[in-house]
This record gives sequence, structure tokens and C-alpha cells, in this order.
Amino acid sequence: MSGPEENVEPAEMAPAAKAELDRAFESFYKEHLRDVYSYAYYRVGNHHDAEDLTEQAFLQAYRHFDRARRESDGRPLRPWLIRIAHNLASNYYRDRSRRPQTPLESADPIATKHDTEDLVAGREELRQVMANLDALSDDRREALIMRFALGMDNREIARALGRSDGATKVLIHRAIKQLQEEMADDSG
Amino acid sequence: MTPGEQPREKAWDVEALLGDALRPIEPPERLMGRIEDTFTTLSAKAATELSDWAEELSDSELSALKDPRNWVRPVVAVSVGGVATGALVLFELRRRGKQEAGGVKRLAGGVKDLLP
Repeated sequence: MSGPEENVEPAEMAPAAKAELDRAFESFYKEHLRDVYSYAYYRVGNHHDAEDLTEQAFLQAYRHFDRARRESDGRPLRPWLIRIAHNLASNYYRDRSRRPQTPLESADPIATKHDTEDLVAGREELRQVMANLDALSDDRREALIMRFALGMDNREIARALGRSDGATKVLIHRAIKQLQEEMADDSG
Repeated sequence: MTPGEQPREKAWDVEALLGDALRPIEPPERLMGRIEDTFTTLSAKAATELSDWAEELSDSELSALKDPRNWVRPVVAVSVGGVATGALVLFELRRRGKQEAGGVKRLAGGVKDLLP
């Protein structure tokens, strides 16, 4: 039996074990494709590169999926998967020396208000908050993306970012507070 | 507001705005086809064709699984081709019958249609 520190490549597995792994991974892939894609999109700011990142993240995840399941001891694997996407996105910027080609504010979110004036105002507020989000430090911005785009709780975000639960709670609180201050400054 | 009174600072419900602004984004259907194609064709490619930055499972990724204090660095095999070969079965059955013609260029087309 493999030890917890040993990674067995899927292709090296016995057929029955590999078939089980493949079924589990397919389910995992379907369950989290939207999470990874959303995270990638909000990190890189355009769909083309988000697709590349998503694909790479799942390739990486498949390769180490068996070990990840053993190491996780039954805990959710989403933080691990998002951590992979996070590292790939970081390397993407480092290797290519670039920032998002499309600023986050151009994501053009659709407001949910009905009245025309409210709709216009709402869209402006959303653009404003996205612009301010884009100006946050990387760790604050990423924590908010995980919280609001992926619906991750503090513990999941902590694991994805490699921080303690307490530090993550503080990080998110400060990020929101900073956004509130920036929004107030913008409107003042 | 009385004359001379300063306008009150608008109270922003930033969390509500973030909830609206950072909505989950549905991946394009073509992405699923692309990933399946990648899994089924990668075995023919050299490992170096995969981006180097996608190669290794890092310590930080493992730390997302467990307490980093207990982390033991993994023995990472290097054959991406092996991964892809292993993945063939995963997607091959579903791929049969589909008329997916692969190609990144084709997949990259129509990006504008997906912009929110």
C-alpha cells in the first residue's frame, strides 16, 4: 500500500484502482469546473487565458488526485484545487511579466435592479467596486474572489491561501473595510 | 439637509455589491470539449509541451490539504505523457460520438460571444 507521501501516477496504477480514480476525478472535475473557471477569470481578466489556466489546473489536479485524496483524509478538495489554480495564475504573471489584459472593471456585471435609473446607477456602482477590487493587494483581492465568486467559507479560503483561520478572517475583514473606504472616497 | 451641513458619507453595502459583481462565471461549453480533447491527445505530446509552470505539485498546494507542519515533500514523477495516457479512459467514452474537432484556434474563436 502506498504511503501518504508517495505519489502514484494514474498511468502506473492497477486497472481497477485507476478506473475508480478516473470515475472519482470525473465527478470532481464536473463539480468544480465552474469554480476553477470563475477563479481563473477573475484572476487573469479574460476568457482566453482563463480557459488555459483552467485546463492546466485540472491536468495538474488529475496527476496528483490520488495522493490528494489520501492526504486530505476526507476533507474537501476544493481548497487544494483552488490553490493549484492560484499558483498557476501567479506563475502565469511571473513568467509572462504581465498583468490582466482586461481590467476587472470591464467584466461589465449586470445589476439586478429593475428601474432604468437604478440600473444605470447600479452598474456604475458595480464598476466602481470592481475597479477598487482590482486595486487591492493580491491577497485581499484573492480572498474576496474566493469568498464571493466561489462561495468559499473562511476555513476553505484559509487552506487555499495557506493561512490560519484567524488570519484569513482578519484579511477578509480588512479587505472589505478598505473597499468601503475607497468607495466612500470615490463618492465623497 | 440644512444649509452648511456636510453631506453624510454614503454607506456602501460593499458585501452586497461584491455579491453582485463577483458572480460565478459559467465556463464555455467549448472548454469542456477542449479539456477532454487535451486529456485524450496529450499522450502524443512531449512533456515539455506542457507549460513548465504547470509541472510540479508544490508544497503550498499540499498545504491546502493538511497541516503544513506535517508536510513531507512528495516524490513527483515527471511523465506528463503518463498522465495523459492514464486520462485517456476518463474521457474517451464520452468523447465517442461527439463531433468535437479539436484545436485551440477553433476554441479560441468566438470569445466575444462569451463576454458578460
